[in-house]
Amino acid sequence: MKKSMYVIVLSVLFLSACKNDKKQAESNSMQPSEMNMEKAEGHEHGDHDHDATMGENSSKEERKIDATTQKNSATSAIIDSYLQIKNALVKDNKDGAAKGGTMMLTAFADFDMSQLNDTQHKEYMEILEDAKEQAEHIVKSPIDHQREHFENLSVDVNDLIALLGTDKTLYQSKCPMAGEGKGAIWLSEYKEIKNPFFGSKMISCGSVQKQIN
Amino acid sequence: MKKLKKIVLFLLIVFVGIQFIPTKRNESSEVLETDFSKTFTVPANIQNTFEKSCYDCHSNNTNYPWYNKIQPISWLLENHIKEGKKEFNFSEFGSYSKRKQKNKLKSLVSQIKDKKMPMQSYTIIHKDAKLSNADKEQIIVWINKLRDDL
Repeated sequence: MKKSMYVIVLSVLFLSACKNDKKQAESNSMQPSEMNMEKAEGHEHGDHDHDATMGENSSKEERKIDATTQKNSATSAIIDSYLQIKNALVKDNKDGAAKGGTMMLTAFADFDMSQLNDTQHKEYMEILEDAKEQAEHIVKSPIDHQREHFENLSVDVNDLIALLGTDKTLYQSKCPMAGEGKGAIWLSEYKEIKNPFFGSKMISCGSVQKQIN
Repeated sequence: MKKLKKIVLFLLIVFVGIQFIPTKRNESSEVLETDFSKTFTVPANIQNTFEKSCYDCHSNNTNYPWYNKIQPISWLLENHIKEGKKEFNFSEFGSYSKRKQKNKLKSLVSQIKDKKMPMQSYTIIHKDAKLSNADKEQIIVWINKLRDDL
């Protein structure tokens, strides 16, 4: 019995080794065509980035919002979910922020893209892709991690408003200590400073930079 | 005793059986145009560190040790790689939007600073993937500069 067991074990190892070699050869021969496709896509994306909209954007921290922001209620659900996250982080409330993250994912899923023109659509898709990822992380992360993603999300929502407008009155504030000392912006529905990046530790750090609407 | 033998034999058969279930491996001999190393001018030592410590789970090409070709270990590993590539794929970094690139580089720095990456469960086996303090410092300084230039 013992002997036959050894035989089985040895033959398994031998067989799996054979199989792996074959598998490897297969996957190697499979890969190139797939890869080329991805490459082509990649190129296309790369070129997009050099287009006017992104090119301007990339050199600055965030996109400037014009004094005359378009009145648009289509972005309201997204902004509401953002404010829910912001207000939860002000109160050091991790679960509240996670709930806001889920709200945001729903808001993006419900957003009607058919109203966008071609240039708007392209930039919207980039903002969407990024904001969704930030929201997903906010849903599942501890609070310090949520705050890190909230920094990115604030830039995304700020750019979304610059692109599509809002009918809400909002205040863009900056905390010079966030973003590893580089400073970071957030948006609020009220003028008073309540810092979402540090919460109760540094609740009044920051200053209003501009008013939207 | 007889029962024990039967159980061992049964497990052995299952073990043999699952070896024949095909797994799609994360292997590619080609370095894409969108690879991190082709998107930016990366100093050779930093690129080497990335390839040694990160590329196994964050690129289209994993360097598999022999034991990772045996199931079920290989299934566990494939899942890790899938997750890892979704978060950050060095092979496709050039295809990310500028917005995404910036944020990903920021996360790269904070993951290294917080000692979350490379994962401990990985460096326990891959001793050479462990980042020294000098490696970390070098990466963080260089990435931060890259972020400012983006």
